[in-house]
Amino acid sequence: MAASAADVRSILAIPEPPAAGSSQPAKKPQGTERAKKPEGIPRELYALIGPHVPTLTAQFTKPRLKQKPNLAGGGRVKWHVPPTWEWRPFKNGARSDGLRLSHWTKAGTDPETDYQFAKYNIQGTPYVYTHEEYTRLLDDSSWTKEETDYLFNLVREYDGRFYVVHDRYEYPNGPQRSLEDLKERYFGVCRRLIRNRPWIGDEASKKALLDSLTFDKDREVARKDYVASLEHRTPEQITEEDALYLELEKLKENERRFRKDRDELLRTLCGIESGLPDIQVDEDGLAGATFDTKKKKKGVAGSVEPQTPVTPSANTVIALPQPQPKKTSAKSAAYGASPATHLLHLEPTIVVDALHCIVRTEVEQTSSSTKAAHVPVHLRSYKIAQPKAALAPRVTQVLSELGISHSRLVMPTRDNLTKFAALIDAAQQLVEIKKAVDKHDQDIQTTKARLAALRGETVEDGDVPQTPMDVDEGAVDAEGEVDGRAQSVVSTRSVRSRKQGRRSMSVSSVDTTGGPNKRQKQR
Amino acid sequence: MASNDRVRVRGVTIHRPVIYGNTAWVLTPKEREALPSSDHTHRWTVAVRSAASSPDSDIVGGADDLSYFIKRVTFKLHDTYPNPNRNVDKPPFEVSETGWGEFEITIRINFVTESGEKAVTFYHHLKLHPWTASGSGEPEIPSLEAAAKAGPVHSWQYDEIVFNDPYQIFLNILTAHPPTPLPKHKRRPIPFHTANPASLEASKGGTPEFTQEMEREEAERLEKALKTIVEDTHKWRNKLIEKENESNRLKKELEAALQS
Repeated sequence: MAASAADVRSILAIPEPPAAGSSQPAKKPQGTERAKKPEGIPRELYALIGPHVPTLTAQFTKPRLKQKPNLAGGGRVKWHVPPTWEWRPFKNGARSDGLRLSHWTKAGTDPETDYQFAKYNIQGTPYVYTHEEYTRLLDDSSWTKEETDYLFNLVREYDGRFYVVHDRYEYPNGPQRSLEDLKERYFGVCRRLIRNRPWIGDEASKKALLDSLTFDKDREVARKDYVASLEHRTPEQITEEDALYLELEKLKENERRFRKDRDELLRTLCGIESGLPDIQVDEDGLAGATFDTKKKKKGVAGSVEPQTPVTPSANTVIALPQPQPKKTSAKSAAYGASPATHLLHLEPTIVVDALHCIVRTEVEQTSSSTKAAHVPVHLRSYKIAQPKAALAPRVTQVLSELGISHSRLVMPTRDNLTKFAALIDAAQQLVEIKKAVDKHDQDIQTTKARLAALRGETVEDGDVPQTPMDVDEGAVDAEGEVDGRAQSVVSTRSVRSRKQGRRSMSVSSVDTTGGPNKRQKQR
Repeated sequence: MASNDRVRVRGVTIHRPVIYGNTAWVLTPKEREALPSSDHTHRWTVAVRSAASSPDSDIVGGADDLSYFIKRVTFKLHDTYPNPNRNVDKPPFEVSETGWGEFEITIRINFVTESGEKAVTFYHHLKLHPWTASGSGEPEIPSLEAAAKAGPVHSWQYDEIVFNDPYQIFLNILTAHPPTPLPKHKRRPIPFHTANPASLEASKGGTPEFTQEMEREEAERLEKALKTIVEDTHKWRNKLIEKENESNRLKKELEAALQS
């Protein structure tokens, strides 16, 4: 039986769709639509769908299979031609040593393309801290700085793979550390560093990063205990547990059935006024309320009232989400409070009403609401962040180099003042670090001078090997004694070059300055 | 006054955006002749206004009448002016004068009694001469003819008057008068500010207007600077750690040398 859409219409007595023109052009597209009947639909069914429901036809069409993989590398799938592969060296962008390895690759691909897996070589952000930061933020009675350094070096070396780190962890004279100890220390340090350093992005991204570095040692230990106890069950225990579980399920089922029966009975006896928590009424708070009041008015069915309390239904009404009345806080954390201090406390809820320029902050209940605490009216710009007096000139200089005025803003709004405070904070840290670098520079120079003086007297043989030799971190200590001469010469002569760090401290760098000086000394 | 009107609404901080500053015009020779003191070269108006500008006015700001929370604005002019303390008790809160020199004007705002707040005082440097880019080689004070050609000089500072824990009655007054929001995008020149010297070019060509774009632009500048500083800090911190290590190593070496 073939039924077209028109047939269906006539059967259901639906008038013909109002055709804009004559019926002839209206019919034509129908015909073309028909011709494109997708496969997989019976013709009759398709006719019933009619021409106006294209989405349905799409659902009925056969699902398209995934295209066959094109392994041959050619334009068309040719299964009879086996793909050609060749052994070819490739460039791995993730390698720093430039080692060329070879692999099998499809012939015809560009040999200069970078190794496709190179992008997965992701380095975690290495966290480092200065001595000052350690003493200020990271001090922990159970950890020494040396051991923390050791831990961080290991984590860096093994790329944050804590199982390996724990396996290799052998700090001389240190206490036994569990994997959780190591993780707790590492993540704790990272979190504290992030909190106390200036942050570029918004608060949300900072919080996300901090969350990603959260480590709850107790929970982790408990979790592992659970897993361990789960894994160490004997077969007997497992069967017993299963049996118990089945028993429990049975009991539950029984109870459910019993309760259902009882409820049914009560409902047939008392009707809707039975006040059963499980019936439809109390899912809807309003219905429950009306029922509740009705019951009170009548005050009936007291005797039949089951022990089941009526409160659940009343509760649903009360528990409706109510607009929380905003409370109050004299201290608005909004003002220039640095983001660091922000995060240390629980963040207060701040609601901003842009239209009326209102900022509401949650009030701590403990705050004594005295008049003395009242912040009088002021211009917003009064609260502009100011650097510490001792650092002010250098902070000002840093800011002016960046084209920022140290004392005024064009638009001193709340957001901009917060940003400005963060800027001042960051600039102060920078200045402090630079100061510390200078101080250490001086330290290094004086120590070197003393060393040189000392060695100038003690070391007299003076046959320093002249072969250029890179004195690297590791080598320094080994050569320190032998090579002391050369180093001391550098230190007295080319103080400036110190600034480039200890890499410059190769014996070869002595060449220019060392020559005459050495002759003098040898005499 | 109902008793609960005198209750402070805790946790509420409400502010009103205002601008203060001046506009100055060079007097034409004819105008100068008409003046009693012929040495005056400029006519100026110093004012406190709402930050948003009316769409069709030729003054900076002033879209809203601020008298709902401001009772009086006192402008203290230079002592050489007759009656230097000028009290303005009704809008517009401004003083127009003529003069020849720039000086510091003390502005004091008294608030309506319902606010229960004391006055705030701040300063504005009366700006008569056109802004010049420092180091551009232009003379600090251009000639009067050049200045007259450049049009009026605008010097305005945006700020926000912040009320903490306002009395309920005052809060009601304030919320009954929401300020006109600043336009989102730039429609007119930007008011020049010394904290943003780059805005000099954009400030030319007509009556300036404060916009939200300016706030965003400044936020971006601050963020950019912060980013540079943080990157710098990172570099320097690594350097410091290197130095610390070297310093420690040397000290140990020294100790070893001293002991041997």
